[in-house]
Amino acid sequence: MKKALFVALAMTVGSAVAAPFVWPAAWTAEQNTANKRGGEYRYYSLSDYKTFNPFTSAEADSIPTLIAAGTGLFAQDPRNDEFIPYMADAKPTVSNNGKRFVVKIREGMKFSDGQPITADDFVTTMRIHMDDKVGSNSFDSFRLAGKPITIKKIDNYTVQFDFPQVSSGAYERMAFTPWPDHVFGKAYREGGAEAIKKMWTLGTNPNQIVSPGMWTLGSYRAGERAVLERNERWGEWNKDSRGNALPYLASASYRIVGDANAALAAYLAGQIDSVAVRNADDLAQIKRAMDAGRLKATLIPNVSPQATSQWITFNWNKAGDPFKQKLFRDVRFRRAMSHIANRKAMVDLALGGLGTETYYSVYPIFRQQIAAGASAPKYPYNLQAATNLLRQMGFTKKNAQGYLVDNSGKVLEFNLSTNAGNTVREQLGRIFADEAKKVGVKVNFTPIDFNNLVNQLTSKGENRPFDAILLGLANGSNVWPFGSNVTPCGGNLHSYNNNSKGTCLTSQETLMTKLYFQGDATLDDAKRRAIGGQIMKAEGELQPVIYLVGGNYHVTFNERLGGEYPRTMMDAYYGSRDLALTFVK
Amino acid sequence: MIPFLLRRVVQSIPTLLLASVLIFFVIQLAPGDFLTPARLNPNISPEQLENLSRNFGLDRSIPEQYLRWMGNMFRGDFGLSFQYQQPVLDVVWPRIKNSLWLVLLSTLLFYAIAIPVGVYGAVRQNSLGDKFINVVLYFLLGFPSFFLALIIIYFILLARDATGLDIPIGGMTSNNYEQLSSLGRVWDIVKHLIIPAVVLAISDAAGLTRVIRGQMLEVMRSDYVRTARAKGVNERSVIWKHTFRNGILPIVANIGGLLPAAISGAGFMEVVFAYPGVTPMLLTAINTQDLYLIAGFTVITTILLVIGNAISDLLLAVVDPRVKVA
Repeated sequence: MKKALFVALAMTVGSAVAAPFVWPAAWTAEQNTANKRGGEYRYYSLSDYKTFNPFTSAEADSIPTLIAAGTGLFAQDPRNDEFIPYMADAKPTVSNNGKRFVVKIREGMKFSDGQPITADDFVTTMRIHMDDKVGSNSFDSFRLAGKPITIKKIDNYTVQFDFPQVSSGAYERMAFTPWPDHVFGKAYREGGAEAIKKMWTLGTNPNQIVSPGMWTLGSYRAGERAVLERNERWGEWNKDSRGNALPYLASASYRIVGDANAALAAYLAGQIDSVAVRNADDLAQIKRAMDAGRLKATLIPNVSPQATSQWITFNWNKAGDPFKQKLFRDVRFRRAMSHIANRKAMVDLALGGLGTETYYSVYPIFRQQIAAGASAPKYPYNLQAATNLLRQMGFTKKNAQGYLVDNSGKVLEFNLSTNAGNTVREQLGRIFADEAKKVGVKVNFTPIDFNNLVNQLTSKGENRPFDAILLGLANGSNVWPFGSNVTPCGGNLHSYNNNSKGTCLTSQETLMTKLYFQGDATLDDAKRRAIGGQIMKAEGELQPVIYLVGGNYHVTFNERLGGEYPRTMMDAYYGSRDLALTFVK
Repeated sequence: MIPFLLRRVVQSIPTLLLASVLIFFVIQLAPGDFLTPARLNPNISPEQLENLSRNFGLDRSIPEQYLRWMGNMFRGDFGLSFQYQQPVLDVVWPRIKNSLWLVLLSTLLFYAIAIPVGVYGAVRQNSLGDKFINVVLYFLLGFPSFFLALIIIYFILLARDATGLDIPIGGMTSNNYEQLSSLGRVWDIVKHLIIPAVVLAISDAAGLTRVIRGQMLEVMRSDYVRTARAKGVNERSVIWKHTFRNGILPIVANIGGLLPAAISGAGFMEVVFAYPGVTPMLLTAINTQDLYLIAGFTVITTILLVIGNAISDLLLAVVDPRVKVA
């Protein structure tokens, strides 16, 4: 009898409170064994927050993303990049050749106002993001090749996603933050997109902001700081490996500093707990403060490359200047240019030795993809090889100024621009121009206004208004690290060839376009990376864009913090810690 | 007085219209728009960029954008800020309030410093004290206020390191502001305000002090002051009633400028002290080409300038019986 009662009791409890998500002990280098709770994590933001509204917020570091930390049906494990069920109860049931995903939602999760998180919240959130009149930043993540992804509620705790085609990014796309249907759904049904845009502005009282994530909004003062407070409801379904509710911290405050130097100063003065280290100068200042005993902190330089790229692109659409068009379209010329790029000097001089040489569009931080493309060709610094290639093209003689000329006496020269004010890029361009001069190529390097530069780069047509541009890209995921508007022909960031019809000009481009869509439609990680490796090979041969160098990511944090990632898990993509496991010593 | 005010209102219409045209088109002269940086993001599709530019009204021609903006403004709607997706007034108002505290306090200090020092310089002309003040003022006049602020911050930091005293040098409130009592909150803000306000007042006062000194000296030499003295009016009365009142006329004429100045913030001082006022917000808006935020705010200050000038003229008439506004 007693036993039967116990079983019945266990079953009722079991159905009312589903199993929590247990944060793996391996996700932290330092377990919170002393069970220290409370305390404040003090960080900063370079720019003022713009809104509390998750649907109109356009910045990576917005209040909605901060409070919603620890949400999404699936989460990426920083150890192996794999997606694990998070707000989902288990892995989804996949059918329809990888296009249909039926996801069970973990039961027992609640918003900060106590309302349960159910299928309706996911459905409503996705619908609002997909409304083009709302202008959501996530609009693109719910569309594939122009067609919408659909979501359907099966029951209160089950949703079904239907993709128009197989997508490598399926798990990422399904891992969005659910916002409360009882807040947004109602407004949306009554007033549509306009009603959504008017919600949760900076004027909204912070205690009206309902959060599904780790934090709630405690207070916000325009231009000064935002204070987040622990969401107790979140702790009900997020436990550490010993069963304690997370996060350990009581609050996290974000001071708005306005500029990176002010942030560094605040860190050196011990007023904030961590800072983004930009360059060798920052590193040296932190080191000095630590050595002098003014700052008690941890400093780990060169943790990984940054998830960014710096490159030079040549314009293939120069109908107005046939000489240059022919030049830029010649693969020998571009290979020669890659040979001219003295990447080591760029790392040493422009990045103070704290950088990584790059040869492909894949950021070097995405190690698994880089490894899969290890056999792709490279054209490293070699002035003799560059000279030989240029000689093959008919540039055998030099004029009185020492520049190469072709048979008709035309000088081998082009204009290279970058955005003025970016000192690293200005130095990269200068180094490139100096090396080019050594082999007799005249590079007229001029930094120009950023907006003008972007207009030139993204212009379309047969006669685009630039020769060569030195610029960089950031953003992208490690699942399929090729950009949908970068790699395939016709994309607006397919910078080297953007003719009015959006067609490819070479067989490698056609191949890369084909491989891009093929890889994007491959769910199997290993197979997809192999396809990525083929893209890297085609890209290496074609050298449409000359990849240069990228800065490195450094980690520093105040001694009072514990619970950071193990050193091997830290990188620019995942960062140095998860606030859920962070504690104040 | 009423006809004067009415005339002012009518006169201000073409002024404001012309100002708004200039503001709007000058902003448009800059290359690119709010969405330009987004075009370099591999995660944003061209389709979404078109959506956004349609939602923001950036796909329309510039004259059309101007006309729509102008039309909305007559209804008191200064447009939506692109960054905040909120009406301009809602974005600007909390910042104006912050700036107002700083500007009011510094204006108060400004007059509290400039007037006595200027009068002292005139009354004790060429005394040792006057000479000393002159030297200091010359020095301050040639000093940009933000540079003065940086030097002061440096010394405060030294003092902080030496004494361990927590002297705030940035922001408007402390971390624990929300937990303070209401009196504690006022004290907390005053603590943050006082240093930037003093720096601002001192560096601005240099100019006004010299104007007051010069004006006072000139008036003191005039016949009616000599007559008053000869009649045996006491010295205090001579200085403050006869001389000072006439001496400050050009200053009163400038008071109208305070109104727009009060809301346009304390300039680079706010940047140096990381003060959440109007200037840092405006700088970001210019950087990101947040069109309506810049234009809307500039129109507000222009309107206040017009109103301020009218107030100046009225005040001048009060102080100087020779001036009539009707």
